[in-house]
Amino acid sequence: MGIKGFTRLLLLGSVLTASTAWSAEIHGRSSTQLLWFNNYFNDQRQIELGEYLRMSVTNLDKAGKASLFGYGRMTQDLNNGEGFNGRLYYLYGEYRGLFDKLDIRLGRQFVNLAAGTAIIDGGQVDLNNAGPIGLTVFGGRNVIFSLDEENGHGGDLALGVAAYLNGFKSTDLEVSWFRKWDDWNIARDTLGASVKQYLFNNLRVYGNTRYDVVSETFSEVLAGAKYYPTSNLVLTGEWYQSYPVFDATSIYSVFAVDRYQEAVFRADYTITEQIAVHGGYTRQWFEGGANGNIYQAGLSVRPVEPLQLNFEYDNNQGYNGKTHGFIADAYYDVTKSLQLSGGIAYDTYQRDVLSDDEIARLYWVGGKYRLAKNMSASLRVENNVNAVYDNDVQGRFVFDYDF
Amino acid sequence: MKKWFIALLLLTVSAFTVQMALADKMSHKEYATTPIGECNACHKGEGIAPNHDADWVRGHRVVASRAGKNCADCHVQQFCLDCHQGGGIEADLSTRTFMRDYVPKSHRSNFLSIHPTKALDNPQTCTRCHDQSYCNECHARFPKGSLRIKSHLMLGPNGQKYSFGLGEHAIEARRNLQSCQTCHPEGDVCIQCHSSGKTSPHPRNWNSIKNNYKDRAGSRVCTKCHLPGTY
Repeated sequence: MGIKGFTRLLLLGSVLTASTAWSAEIHGRSSTQLLWFNNYFNDQRQIELGEYLRMSVTNLDKAGKASLFGYGRMTQDLNNGEGFNGRLYYLYGEYRGLFDKLDIRLGRQFVNLAAGTAIIDGGQVDLNNAGPIGLTVFGGRNVIFSLDEENGHGGDLALGVAAYLNGFKSTDLEVSWFRKWDDWNIARDTLGASVKQYLFNNLRVYGNTRYDVVSETFSEVLAGAKYYPTSNLVLTGEWYQSYPVFDATSIYSVFAVDRYQEAVFRADYTITEQIAVHGGYTRQWFEGGANGNIYQAGLSVRPVEPLQLNFEYDNNQGYNGKTHGFIADAYYDVTKSLQLSGGIAYDTYQRDVLSDDEIARLYWVGGKYRLAKNMSASLRVENNVNAVYDNDVQGRFVFDYDF
Repeated sequence: MKKWFIALLLLTVSAFTVQMALADKMSHKEYATTPIGECNACHKGEGIAPNHDADWVRGHRVVASRAGKNCADCHVQQFCLDCHQGGGIEADLSTRTFMRDYVPKSHRSNFLSIHPTKALDNPQTCTRCHDQSYCNECHARFPKGSLRIKSHLMLGPNGQKYSFGLGEHAIEARRNLQSCQTCHPEGDVCIQCHSSGKTSPHPRNWNSIKNNYKDRAGSRVCTKCHLPGTY
């Protein structure tokens, strides 16, 4: 993938050069990064130089309907023998408003329907502005990323079709179908639906489901409501169930599995402009009688204008082990150009009844300096102290240039 | 009865049509840099409080289900992919790095050690962002004995041998079969017992759904345990 991705980025560069003759607008961000970290797989320190590039080329035609979008990265390991690595996240051309009704995208892109999500090398067509129902169709090669590279076969494909309500202010509804091929065999056939409805100016009810056609089960069902008694308070109640499904090409797809269910209750309250709190409780049900309880609480405070403090705590007590811990962050705007920040993450966890509690701590400090309106430099350093490492310092230096 | 049905249908269609005529879903692009807390300045009273509350990481799924229509009002695809597939060009200082990729806040502190516990919650959590091969690629690099699975503990020379006597494996496997697949991607160890005919692995409704698998994946899966023509 690395070489392919790099070639595509170069191609994008050549297109950009040509496009400037059309007075196209080119915008984006170049992010040059120096990363240092502990490579978990060979237990060696690794230092990498990376270039992350995101760009958009708009107004490719006079009507401003044609655009190009790209995002990728290249990294070079400087000391650990991992060498060059590259990844192309997306690179697609888009034409919006063909006949005032069609939006067309061609190239590598992220596609998302209620029935399924994928990155594809292919195309997506949206039919909208043609009445109360909109249609989306996409298809192409299913791009699968592994840890470092692309990991797939020639016959990995994805196809999706969706119909949705179009132009309704208070109602969103989509029904969709998603099919995935694994090396030319059909791996997934999923029907999906999502719905949102705003009611009485202060209530939103919503739902989302996926039905696996192969195993004839609902792999996911979510139903929830958000109630806003005031604009500063959000109360959430949700019920969710999930049933594990696998590609039909995997031996695991023919094994019996258990259902998982959870109920969530939450409150988010912005008390004043300086103080916001949130809290939640999740009840888990595993078949066979096991249960779990998750408690969450959070606080965000801005005592003086340049300082912001955030704190989040959660506690998970279930059959599947115990975890509890917190995250605390602080941000201080020294000047308009300079921000300093730091934080702690502290977790205690017990993997199973046979093991003792273990503690993981993460300390980090960072700073960001805006050199100019379109240039900034930032540095973040963190140290991990846990059961695996007494001391694991890693970080990144970033120079961003916006154009 | 039919008349009532038609009348109801007409009423419903009319209601939707009127609502559509009054619809005014505006583009939010020019508000993309607005602090989230200020969204209510416009949305107050409409019942459309900001989507990005403190629970956004878990709750954005329904909002984002029409990615090209909702998220794209303010965000480019990079915004989704930095969390869902790695990357990282625009993370704030609090965002961690995992090798070349940024990691979402849900992967805090020593996530390599904590993730087995987290993965046992909602079985779909990991696979929303990671393909199964991602898990396997990592697990395959760790030496045997370094992974602590309940039903495999404390037996054999490397502490990873499975014992029937513990009786844990069926419970573990049915609750979270994905965890089995991360170390045994081809299921070879499962087949050793389950293909014998003594312990059927199939779900209760197998007879009604088994043709679905044959129709789609052909003999690719069935012949791992059964002789051709016997399934």
